[in-house]
Amino acid sequence: MKENMSIMVVDDEMIIRESFSHWFEKSGHKVSTAASGFEALDKLKEYPFDLLFVDIKMPGMDGIEFLEIVKKEYPDTFVVIITAYGSIESSVKAMKLGASDYLLKPFKPEQLNLVLEKVAQQKKLTGEIDYLKGCLDTMTRFDNIIGQSKAMVDIFELIPEVAESEASVLITGETGTGKELIAKAIHAKSKRNAHPFIAINCGAIPDSLLESELFGHQKGAFTGADHARKGFLEVVSGGTLFLDEIGEISTKMQVNLLRVLEEKKITQLGGREPIDVDFRLISATRRNLEQDIKQRNFREDFYYRINVITIEVPPLRKRKPDIPLLVEHFVKKYSRETAKRIDRVTDSAMELLNNFEWPGNIRELENAIERAVVLSKSRTLDRKDFSFIRSAPVEPEKTVSLSEMEKEFIRQALEQNEWNITRTSKVLGLHRVTLQKKVKRLNLRKSG
Amino acid sequence: MATKKFMIGVVPVGDTPVFVAKATAAHISGYLNLPTEILPALDTPSFAYDEKRLQYNAGIIIKTYEALEFGCEKVVALLDIDLFIPLFTHVFGEAKLGGKCALASIFRLKMERDGSCPAPSLVYERAAKVALHELGHLFKLRHCEDNRCLMHFSGDLEQLDRTPIYFCRYCNRFFKDALVDNSDSSFNS
Ligand SMILES: Nc1ncnc2c1ncn2[C@@H]1O[C@H](COP(=O)(O)OP(=O)(O)OP(=O)(O)O)[C@@H](O)[C@H]1O
Ligand SMILES: [Zn+2]
Ligand SMILES: [Zn+2]
Repeated sequence: MKENMSIMVVDDEMIIRESFSHWFEKSGHKVSTAASGFEALDKLKEYPFDLLFVDIKMPGMDGIEFLEIVKKEYPDTFVVIITAYGSIESSVKAMKLGASDYLLKPFKPEQLNLVLEKVAQQKKLTGEIDYLKGCLDTMTRFDNIIGQSKAMVDIFELIPEVAESEASVLITGETGTGKELIAKAIHAKSKRNAHPFIAINCGAIPDSLLESELFGHQKGAFTGADHARKGFLEVVSGGTLFLDEIGEISTKMQVNLLRVLEEKKITQLGGREPIDVDFRLISATRRNLEQDIKQRNFREDFYYRINVITIEVPPLRKRKPDIPLLVEHFVKKYSRETAKRIDRVTDSAMELLNNFEWPGNIRELENAIERAVVLSKSRTLDRKDFSFIRSAPVEPEKTVSLSEMEKEFIRQALEQNEWNITRTSKVLGLHRVTLQKKVKRLNLRKSG
Repeated sequence: MATKKFMIGVVPVGDTPVFVAKATAAHISGYLNLPTEILPALDTPSFAYDEKRLQYNAGIIIKTYEALEFGCEKVVALLDIDLFIPLFTHVFGEAKLGGKCALASIFRLKMERDGSCPAPSLVYERAAKVALHELGHLFKLRHCEDNRCLMHFSGDLEQLDRTPIYFCRYCNRFFKDALVDNSDSSFNS
C-alpha cells in the first residue's frame, strides 16, 4: 500500500477518534476527525477525503444516514462502517448502501490493515478506470485544444493535414473561439515548428506603426526612428506569422502584404536592398470578409491569397457538447493554479453554463470559471458561484445584415459618449485603434 | 549544563523479570549503538485496568508515565500485562510518534497460539523487537512498507517472528537523522 490516503474518522467518542488518529499517523496516512456527521459533511465540502471510518451509532445523524448522503454527494469516497457487537443488521444495511466494508469494535490491528489494503485496491482500480478515461480524453483534445463537438473533431482532423502544406490559412470565427490556439497548433505540427510563431493583432496597432512593425525600418526612416529595426516579417524567418484581425488592415497595407506573399522579399522603410523572407501566413478574422470585399473595404486579390485554406470555428453556443469538457478542463486548471481542490460542478451550475450564450465564447467561459474558482470557499461550484454571469444578449436577427447592425450599434454608443473615441471604445470593449478603423470603414460621421 | 550523553532508560514494570529488561537494554545498545540504563522497577499500573475488557489501557499508562521524571531522554517500559488501545483487541506495545515513553509487554509474547511455551531466548528476542519498534516511533519513525524492516507493523506473533530486529536502510537513515536532531536539542538545554 504505497500510496498514502487521506482519511477521516467520524465518531462521537473522542477516545476512538484519538485512537484512530494516532494509529494512522504511525502508518503515514493523513487523518482528520469529526465528532458528528454534520461536522464531517462540512469537512468534506472543504477537502476531498479518500476514506471515511464511520461509527454507526451517533447521536443526531447516525452512520447510516451519513453514509447515504456521502454516497450520493461524493460517490468516489470510500466508507468503512464501525460497529459494536450486536449491530450486525445495520452493518448489512450499510454494505447494501455502498459501504466498502465494516469493522466490529474492538478489532485486531491486522483487520484494519486488511480493510486499508482492500480500499487501496479499489482506489487503484477506479484510478485505472480514470486513467482509461484519460486515454479517451486524448481523442477529445488536440494538444491543449478541447472539444468533442462534430465541428471541433473535424478541426482536429484538419490540423495535421493543414500543417503539412505550406498554403496560407484563414481562420474565421467570433472573438474567443480559439483561433489563435488553432494557429499555434498548426505551427506546432508543421515542419516550421523549430522556428518562431509570431502573432500580431492588426486591430490593435495603427496602420503606420503596423507597417514598420512588419517591415522594419532604417535609422531615420521617419521621425522617431532612432535605430534601425528588423520587422517581424524578417524576424519570423522560417516560422509562422499569425495576423489576427486581418480584416482591420488598410487596403494600402493589403497591397504591400500581397506583394510580399508573391515575391517573398521585403524592403525596409527607408531601405533600398530587398531582403528575402520565408514564412507561412495564418490569418484570422471575426469579420465577414466577403461582405467587406463587396463594400470595397477588402481587396479581392489579397483575400484569395490569404485564404487558400479556410477553417471556420463556430461560436461556443453552436457547439454545446464542448461546454462540459471545457468546464472540467478549466476547473482542473484553475483549482491546480490556486491550490484549491475543487472537483465538482453541480448539475444546476452546469445547466446554467450550458444554457448561457457566451458572446465572448471560450475566453469568457474560461474567465468565468477562473473567477468562480478563485472566489469559491468550497470544493464544489454551485449555481450561485456564477451569479456574476450576465444574462444572454439576444442573437441578432438574421434578416438585418451584421454590418448594418454593427454600424447602428457603434453609432449609438458614439452618440451616448459625445463622439469621444477613447470613452466609446471602453464602453464597447474595443481597442481605441480598432474603433477608429471601424468608424472610418463604416463611414460613420457625427450628425448635425 | 547537560553532561549526560543521550540515554535510553529501560524500566521493568510489575512482574516483568529484570533479566528481560537487561536483555532488551543489551539489544538496544547493540543494534542502535545507544547507551542504556536499567531504571528502578515500577508497580503494576492498576490505575489503567479496564473492568469491562479485563485488560490494561495502554494510552492511560503512557499518559501517566510521560508525566514522570526518569532522567533519560526516552524511556521504554517493559510490562507483563495484557495491553489494549480502545480500537484494538490487544497490542504488543504502544508509543506515540515523537513521544517520550514507549510500552512493550511480554504478556502475549510468552505463549504460542497452540498454548505451548516458547524457549525463553525467543521471548527475549520478541520483547526486544517490540521495544525497538516502539522506540522507533518515539524517534518519529512511521510504519514501513518493507516487511524486512523492524518498523514494518506486526499484528501477530508469526509476523513478529518473521520481522528482523533491524531497520531497513531508509528507516535507519531516518533514525540517525532523528537522533542528531534529538541530541542537538538536549545538549543545548
Ligand atoms: N478549444 C479550446 N480548448 C481550450 N481552451 C481554449 C479553446 N479555445 C479557446 N481556448 C482558450 O480561450 C482563450 C481565447 O482563445 P484564442 O485567443 O485562441 O481566441 P481567438 O479566437 O484568437 O480570440 P480573438 O479573436 O479575440 O483574438 C485562450 O485562453 C485559449 O487558450
Ligand atoms: Zn508500530
Ligand atoms: Zn523500514
